[in-house]
Amino acid sequence: MLFFRSEEAIHGWCEERDHPVRPIVTMEQLWGLARTWYSTRLQVESRRPAPDEMVGIFAGLGLEGAFWDPAADSFAGGE
Amino acid sequence: MSIHEELDTAVKLTVYRHFAESGTSPALEAVASEVEAEPGVVRSAFARLRAARVLFLEGDGDTIRMAPPFSAVETQHFVESGGVIYFANCAWDALGIPAALRQEATVRSRCEQTREPLRLAVGLDGPGVSDWLFHCLVPAAHWWDDLVFT
Repeated sequence: MLFFRSEEAIHGWCEERDHPVRPIVTMEQLWGLARTWYSTRLQVESRRPAPDEMVGIFAGLGLEGAFWDPAADSFAGGE
Repeated sequence: MSIHEELDTAVKLTVYRHFAESGTSPALEAVASEVEAEPGVVRSAFARLRAARVLFLEGDGDTIRMAPPFSAVETQHFVESGGVIYFANCAWDALGIPAALRQEATVRSRCEQTREPLRLAVGLDGPGVSDWLFHCLVPAAHWWDDLVFT
């Protein structure tokens, strides 16, 4: 999970390593993920989102599809 | 709340508050002292918190490698906040640290391809407008298969 300066940089990095280009996330979307996952982490009631909650969280940030589904089997081989 | 749940919550909060105050991970013995429990009991709590994906441990089962978003080891993702320097496990966690602290912070990292440095001010409402991007190679279904790689 890395930062990149541009889409061109992402494509170059993936191509050099023979990796597929995955969905590209904006800084605004990344802040949404960070806030959702971690804003209560120092509190007593904190908990990590359950897998069935994650899909809705991702979709709310515009991140949809099997890549963002913790239960998806279409990526069964992983990396 | 069961006895295990009470202990696990106390251990989790002790670990996270130690990271928040110092930027470093606490030793198992220090956590045991703080929660007034035997080290073996805390070791079992660590294992349950690992199973719940709250902590990531080194192979010895005693040493904390990650308490996401905090990293116990140096990475390319630095966060400065309130006079403390933190290391984040990844780009997501670099923003996760100010979110967890609920404090303003400065995130320093880099473009992984061009090595251009990133310096990002993060306020209580998040970073300002930035055209930097985030890319995750591993699908969500496999993030914890190899968390260090992810």
